[in-house]
Amino acid sequence: MLIALPRIEGRLGDTLAEAWSNLRAQGRRSALALLGIMIGTASIIAMLNGAHMAQRESLKLFAKLGVDMLQIQAAPAGDRPAILSRAAIDALPRTDPDVIEAVPLAGGRAPARAGGKTADIATLAAPPALATLASLRLAAGRHPASVEDCALSAVLGDGAARALSAPAAAIAPGSKVLIGGYGYTVVGVLAPVTPETLDPIDYNMGALVPLGCAQRIIPGGGPTGMLVRLRPGADTQVASERITARFATPDAKLTVLDAQSILRTMQEQKAVHSRMLIGIGAVSLLVGGIGVMNVMLMSVMERQREIGLRAATGATPTDIRLLFLVEAVLLTIAGGAIGSALGAAIAWAIARSSGWDFDLAPWTLALGPAVASGMGLVFGLYPAITASRLNPIEALRAD
Amino acid sequence: MLRLEGVSKYYAAPDRAIAVLDNVTLSVGNGEFCALVGPSGSGKSTLLNLIGLLDQPSSGTLSIDGESVAGCSAHQSARLRNRLIGFVFQSFQLLPRLTAWQNVALPLQYRGVPRQAQREAAEAMLARVGLADRTSHFPGQLSGGQSQRVAIARALVGAPRLLLADEPTGSLDSTTAQDVMALLAGLNAELGVTIVMVTHDRDLAAACPRQIALRDGRILVGDAGTC
Repeated sequence: MLIALPRIEGRLGDTLAEAWSNLRAQGRRSALALLGIMIGTASIIAMLNGAHMAQRESLKLFAKLGVDMLQIQAAPAGDRPAILSRAAIDALPRTDPDVIEAVPLAGGRAPARAGGKTADIATLAAPPALATLASLRLAAGRHPASVEDCALSAVLGDGAARALSAPAAAIAPGSKVLIGGYGYTVVGVLAPVTPETLDPIDYNMGALVPLGCAQRIIPGGGPTGMLVRLRPGADTQVASERITARFATPDAKLTVLDAQSILRTMQEQKAVHSRMLIGIGAVSLLVGGIGVMNVMLMSVMERQREIGLRAATGATPTDIRLLFLVEAVLLTIAGGAIGSALGAAIAWAIARSSGWDFDLAPWTLALGPAVASGMGLVFGLYPAITASRLNPIEALRAD
Repeated sequence: MLRLEGVSKYYAAPDRAIAVLDNVTLSVGNGEFCALVGPSGSGKSTLLNLIGLLDQPSSGTLSIDGESVAGCSAHQSARLRNRLIGFVFQSFQLLPRLTAWQNVALPLQYRGVPRQAQREAAEAMLARVGLADRTSHFPGQLSGGQSQRVAIARALVGAPRLLLADEPTGSLDSTTAQDVMALLAGLNAELGVTIVMVTHDRDLAAACPRQIALRDGRILVGDAGTC
């Protein structure tokens, strides 16, 4: 085996060089055979990268909160307000095995007024832990401290602060704002926030106030919802069912927003698209493969004398098979490479038109030539075997 | 060198088997230069193909250089051809996309010789047949006589024991044919390579030291082996 190895290597080099020059000699016909492989590879690469970018984009919707997050909201089921037990929410990380963190919330809307300007803003009563959980960054001032649980201090969103600012009296820490009839002191102003799916309110047009005395702006005075962070890897479906069961009362109808099931729904919609594109790609590849087989068979027929001559000078059937197989694989790899580039360009166009960040999954770039060379092997095998089985005497006599 | 014992070749026809070669026994000594003559249909080409391991006899035994070569697989036959036999054809059979030296190097390529050594050996052999200045020409740029010289160089580059020539001068004018014959005779003398040449040209055949005449698949004269 070891002695035979250099011989095969040297021959493979010769075979490669010859296969390449034969393909070049066939010129336009080779190029046409590439077309199907090219389109097939391009659509598969474009589809895979489209899906890859869509995935990244949808994950961005949960960048602040992460995907192991539940938002639970209670809506009144009857005439009485739907109030959740704050103590039970605070106890969740200890009582539920899948919960790491639970923050009670009470959302509402209220008119706000400051220095003659008015705005209708969203209010969110929450404990200070929310700022950390939701990664809310401040443009100015500070977040309320936990000792201010019942204080009249507020943190305003970037948009709300601007809406309430008069030219001479910009809202800044220390300003007084009237929210729902109560005078609050602004302690902080948030930096602009990119809205996300699981945000309980639009932070930009909202005000965060301490939860302790939320009854000032919220009827009932207790939390009406919560944000729950689950242990990574927890089954969100099971956990959300367990938590809603725990908090179910006749007065409240609980709805759960679950990052992972939102993601799943988004991906299922895209999967329909993906299957269609994969189908188109597969059909193109099949047609392209048959085209390659056709070109190779024609090439075998045209080069019968060459095959006979090579056999006479000592080419074994294996040598002849290898020659045509290498040609077929080179042909399809070229198609696969061009197709990959084309697919990447299409993915770029998709990103461009969807307003996504362009990003290629590196493995897809290797996939194109790999799939194509597989096609070359599969569809080149029959012509190669045909060539190797030619009778050298008849092959030499062919014209 | 070459020994055939009771070799027959039949082809199946719809009603019966047709014998193209009928119980041929023949031996050719080392370094002989034989002409194989006979009318068309006499079995010359079939005999040459059998000797060249391009075909298998229906019955009988064949040995080259003391090696029995009957019943070899296609793979084994190819290896034996590469090592023992060189072919020269009437129509040259040069590959048009390869240069002269690349054509000559083909047998070495299938022997796994490194590319640089292939080129050196091919150019040396081309120089030997008088084409030192044509090594990088393509077949289309060569005359008939030059093409056949390239083909002869290709047949001999691997130092085979046996050269089989099928009407090597059939496509050439008489002057060029004489040159090619002289070249073959010279190589036979210098290298000691055994040559079996099919021809229907009486004059060329007469110029060979030994003639083997075939008719209807049987040897008429020349099986005595005198050389």
